[in-house]
Amino acid sequence: MIKLLKIILKAGEATAKYPFAPLPISPNFRGKPEYDAKDCMACGACTIACPANALSMETDPDAGTRTWSIFYGRCIFCARCEEVCPTGAIELSDDFELAVFNRDDLFKSATFALAPCRCCGTPFVARKEVDYVIELLVHQGLPREAAEQRRGFYETCPDCRRLQEVDRATRQAGMVHAAPAAAPPAKAAPAEMETAP
Amino acid sequence: MLAPTDTKVGKTYIDALRLKFPDVVLEESWQADNQATITVDPGSLPAVVEELHYGQGGWLSVVVANDERPLSGHYAVYYVLSMEGVEKSWVVVRAVVDPETLEFPSVTPKVPAAVWGEREARDMFGLRPVGLPDERRLVLPDDWPDDLYPLRKDAMDYRMRPQPTTDTETYKFINEARGETTVVPLGPLHITSDEPGHFRLFVDGETIVDADYRLFYVHRGMEKLAETRMGYDEVTFLADRICGICGFTHSVAYANSVENALGIVVPPRAGAIRSILLEVERLHSHLLNIGLACHFVGFDTGFMQFFRVREKAMTMAELLTGARKTYALNLIGGVRRDILKDERSRTLTLIAELRREVQELVDMLLATPNMRQRTEGVGRLETSIARDYSTVGPVVRGSGHRRDVRVLHPFAGYKGAPLPVHVMEGCDVLSRVLIRTREVFDSLALVEYFLDTMPEGPLLLEGFTFKPHRFALGYTEAPRGEDVHWTMLGDNQKLYRWRCRAATYANWPPLRYMLRGNTVSDAPLIVASIDPCYSCTDRVTVVDVRKQKSMIIPYKDMERYCRERTGSPLK
Ligand code: SF4
Ligand code: SF4
Repeated sequence: MIKLLKIILKAGEATAKYPFAPLPISPNFRGKPEYDAKDCMACGACTIACPANALSMETDPDAGTRTWSIFYGRCIFCARCEEVCPTGAIELSDDFELAVFNRDDLFKSATFALAPCRCCGTPFVARKEVDYVIELLVHQGLPREAAEQRRGFYETCPDCRRLQEVDRATRQAGMVHAAPAAAPPAKAAPAEMETAP
Repeated sequence: MLAPTDTKVGKTYIDALRLKFPDVVLEESWQADNQATITVDPGSLPAVVEELHYGQGGWLSVVVANDERPLSGHYAVYYVLSMEGVEKSWVVVRAVVDPETLEFPSVTPKVPAAVWGEREARDMFGLRPVGLPDERRLVLPDDWPDDLYPLRKDAMDYRMRPQPTTDTETYKFINEARGETTVVPLGPLHITSDEPGHFRLFVDGETIVDADYRLFYVHRGMEKLAETRMGYDEVTFLADRICGICGFTHSVAYANSVENALGIVVPPRAGAIRSILLEVERLHSHLLNIGLACHFVGFDTGFMQFFRVREKAMTMAELLTGARKTYALNLIGGVRRDILKDERSRTLTLIAELRREVQELVDMLLATPNMRQRTEGVGRLETSIARDYSTVGPVVRGSGHRRDVRVLHPFAGYKGAPLPVHVMEGCDVLSRVLIRTREVFDSLALVEYFLDTMPEGPLLLEGFTFKPHRFALGYTEAPRGEDVHWTMLGDNQKLYRWRCRAATYANWPPLRYMLRGNTVSDAPLIVASIDPCYSCTDRVTVVDVRKQKSMIIPYKDMERYCRERTGSPLK
């Protein structure tokens, strides 16, 4: 009994002062993901990695925009998004107090303008993403002029790129290329396309 | 198949089977060097499982049903046995089930441990184990439509919520008592269990003559969710959430099953980190259970002190993973985070503190006269029944069996780790509590061991190829015993089938034997001793069948009665 009292005395007060004082947390604590649209280029890597479907990306072809959004209600604070984001636009903070009065306050989103495909005109890639790729190429030592020349390639949608591939292959093989019926209105590919990788 | 012949551990079991039952084994395949699956003639299924279980030192871990019609035109059932004779390995017995008759012979009459698995196969797939003594639903509620089998591939979307078919409860509780008894239902939420469960105690005076119970009120449909909505590499995060106490161990078991299926060897450093975190998880889980044991014998100060000290284990988890619970550290092929120098030294400090403080508390708990009085000889699980039901964890070790997956089938970083297995012969609540206290110190020593011997190298193996329709087992020793996951990969980076069996699933069925012959006031303590996660709950209903009268006892009274044992609320 005396021993027990000694333990209790030694332990002192174990109750934390929280919420009247901040709760100490570990340096690597995984709290609420904080997102900065300024750094985001709408590449979508995080939305693919998120196991809980808390992140989503929606494209509005009429408006020519792409909207990134997070629903904190689904987030499991795993930090997969932070791990895959190439620009550090999303990072887990120390904040664990997520209670809100209104469910809508658990959503956050950002909308990005899309560049239209140089070939068929369908909006498909965020302008920022193309800029990012060009910067990356420059950073890797490509002269800016050469990097800028590739812009056309990156601004061509995958469908048109595939068609161009087929086109080029058939031409090289000396065959006549018949465009499939459903193909987008044929526009001449920009000159730099021919030299793109 | 995968493994070269000379490394096939457990081949002797299959050879012996072939000798004893010629022409019964139709097919043999190897998923890993210690994992074999044999397809047997369905008519011989019970005899084969019985022979492996009782004849060759096997323990039936889990029964997996699978809708393989899209693959081969029929259903299949898999009986997973952990072979613990001379060779330690896994033998899975598979039998195909005709999609028209849906029938296969029940194994339960020969090996009681199959009972829940076969009941679940009935519920989820509509398969009919012929001769199954207990044909009540296990998982599905009474108001679920009769012909809707959730895990069949063509049955339903995972979001579908069918209209309830009835308003009345039709579940029959089984009472094997001979004489007249009074019924004491505990529920709708069990008074010590986190999972809502409905218990009926059939009592004569204050003595429990028999008991029956119903669980799965909060079945979350995780297997269905994983199979339909998630990618195979995302399921580690879902598995983290199977249990609010020991989730990481499920995540490791799941990751293991996929890694085994794909032949991935996890880098040694990742294995060591997994082991460290598994022991941290065991620490906080065991300290919680010991704390609650104090509470239920009326030693509340002990309860408070254990919980205070347990907080250090939670801090350790937060330090090492970034979260107190749901560590989210597993990926297929390894882990996501390293343990750095500073984290290592802070963990070692916490370990030293824990060792000292827990020792003081344990000494005091064992010196409390109430403790021994209330737990010795109470809630006996006879050695033979523990065997029949293939029980696991501190429960089976408290009934004289040397079973610990970490030693039997080393996984993660456990191979070669110094790890004593504590076995006691008392078969009672006291044995289970004592085993847990000893295992706390083992876990402390193991964390130190792994931190000291952690191999260098990568944390994650990348660049493996996903191969559809491979399957394998993954297993871990959770704080409550062995967790077993059986996973079959599917198309499109998804799972075809995921069966996860939590440790307590194996310990529930024999609980009725532990309750029999004890007094009502010991019931919460006994249930607590299998450590099925706790919560407080609202109330207990008591029905006196003789007087056709029922009364509701507030939870507080029942709990108080359990602790003080005076002023029975039944009077
Ligand atoms: S922390 Fe995890 S769950 Fe939350 S948004 Fe990021 S990836 Fe999704
Ligand atoms: S990964 Fe980063 S840059 Fe890409 S969409 Fe997500 S937040 Fe934006």
